[in-house]
Amino acid sequence: MRLLQVTIRSLLLYALILVLVSIPVSMYSIRAILEEEVDEALLLQTDQFLKHVKNFESLDDIETDLDVFDHLSYNINIRPTKFGNVISEFNTIVLYDSIENEPRPFRQLSSSVDIKGKPYLLIIRMSLLDNDELVFAIGSVQALLIALLAAGLLFLNRSLTKKLWKPFYNTLEQLKAYELGKHEPFLPEKSNIIEFDDLNKTAIHLVNRNRKIFLEQKEFIENASHELQTPLAIFQSKLDNLMQSKSMSESDAATISELEETALRMSKLNKNLLLLSKIDNQQFADVKPLALSHLIRTLLHNVASITESKGIVVEMALGTFTIQANAMLIEILLSNLLNNAIKHTAANGFISVKLDGATFTLSNSGSKLKMNKDKMFERFSKEGAVDNSTGLGLAIVKKICDSCKYPFDYHFIEGNHVFTVIFNH
Amino acid sequence: MKILIIEDEKELVKSMAQFLRQESYVCEVAYTESEGREKILLFDYDCILLDISLPDGNGLKILQLLKENSKTDGVILITAKNSMEDKIKGLNLGADDYLPKPFYLPELSARISAVIRRKRFDGNNKLTFNEIVVDLLGKTVSIQGAPVDLTRKEYDLLIFLMANKNRVVSKNAIAEHLSGDDAELLDKFDFIYSHIKNLKKKMIEAGSEDYIKTIYGLGYKFAT
Repeated sequence: MRLLQVTIRSLLLYALILVLVSIPVSMYSIRAILEEEVDEALLLQTDQFLKHVKNFESLDDIETDLDVFDHLSYNINIRPTKFGNVISEFNTIVLYDSIENEPRPFRQLSSSVDIKGKPYLLIIRMSLLDNDELVFAIGSVQALLIALLAAGLLFLNRSLTKKLWKPFYNTLEQLKAYELGKHEPFLPEKSNIIEFDDLNKTAIHLVNRNRKIFLEQKEFIENASHELQTPLAIFQSKLDNLMQSKSMSESDAATISELEETALRMSKLNKNLLLLSKIDNQQFADVKPLALSHLIRTLLHNVASITESKGIVVEMALGTFTIQANAMLIEILLSNLLNNAIKHTAANGFISVKLDGATFTLSNSGSKLKMNKDKMFERFSKEGAVDNSTGLGLAIVKKICDSCKYPFDYHFIEGNHVFTVIFNH
Repeated sequence: MKILIIEDEKELVKSMAQFLRQESYVCEVAYTESEGREKILLFDYDCILLDISLPDGNGLKILQLLKENSKTDGVILITAKNSMEDKIKGLNLGADDYLPKPFYLPELSARISAVIRRKRFDGNNKLTFNEIVVDLLGKTVSIQGAPVDLTRKEYDLLIFLMANKNRVVSKNAIAEHLSGDDAELLDKFDFIYSHIKNLKKKMIEAGSEDYIKTIYGLGYKFAT
């Protein structure tokens, strides 16, 4: 749910409750005011009526007149009463309205008066507003109000979402698309909203700081790897000299041999780390047309003596396909895959290399991996103890595929490890 | 033969010089670019080992200086940065070879002798060791005048061992020389053993002495 939707929901709910509460409140308050007005009017009328009657007291047949009046007048009743001095009182009654054919509320004031020394009961009444009508009138006004309010709020909300939140969504899009390794700068749109500008400032700060750390780290890895080359060279050269010693025991020779193996492993690790950082640094930007099948054939030719010595059968089915890419990078990618296959194929196994359109498939016989498929492409993850493996070969493959945006996959099918790279553009 | 090593890492220089002196090379050393400039202008060398990154400047400038002064000294670039760009730039400036660190000293030695041979005999030369004659141009080997049929790998192996005669060469150095980066795929012992075995057999059959000695636990040595 969007933020503005949440606000608008609460606003609408609040307005609805307010309007619903306001219906009885306004009804009762309107009633109270009306009743007060009616009561005053009734008092005034009673007063007036008595004044007029006083003027006519001198008439002899006033009693008959009053009787006639009582019958003729709809709103005024005046009758002789037995009880004298009834205290005047207001009350509301319901009478049948013959015009509208329905009961209607009336307010009446009953007071006892003396006319010519005789006690009379004077009732003056006035029609009140119908309850139903009142509820209907107020209700419909309020309903209209709610409808207008809701429509207005929703409309404002919609146009505000588009206008007001534009810088926010812009920043969000840029953050989503941002990649640390890429060189595109992070430039959010300037808005006049304090919160958004704050957000942008914070995001820029965060991105720049991360970028700085990333660059420093990248540089550090590269420098460290470069700096290591010289001590490794010194180490190796000392070993080469040590080997020339005439008087050496067998165990000394074995130790030197082991040291040399270790030096070799260090230098391979170092080379691969350098390669990874070079790919990260996009130092393989030089792109040219490259005939894949030719490259694959050359690579297979280079390792022919090795596959032969291991008794590995190599099957080849190469179509022609030309890509735009960095030759070095693709060579590293393919030779790493090939080397991985050779390394993990047991003696007398087989390797099959296929190029069908843009799809390159390399499969080799072998037993199922114990490690997870995703883990396979992580740095320094090795299956079992393969000697001389740096654990970086497939990580480099993955990195190259990611940097060139080639889909890459691995499956284990019927006793074969199958690697697929799609060289699409 | 005179070799100039222009490299700022003293320990590495020491080892290189120690190894090369056994081969009866005369080694001179320059630790900085300015020292190197001075020496190349004053003397002629058969081969210069040149580190690209020097404390007071870039080794490529020395290459330029050599070119400007029409010097024909052989140059092998040595660098900690194995970058294609440096390699191409260096070779374009007239360097003869390029060797990234770390390297095996027998490999360096083999490269030096190759450079010197090319410079001295204009590439048209023969390498002779007792009854063995190697025609470097035709890439053929003959023993006591009769040609020996060697595979490409066996030929490379023989040249490599001969360039390091009287010195122990480790299996790793041989494997890297023969297969480059693919060496890691090999079962080194089997691979090298079978090549050495075949080479020895062919040479002995052709009437050569058994010069290739196995040094237990370390590698091989080409010696009388």
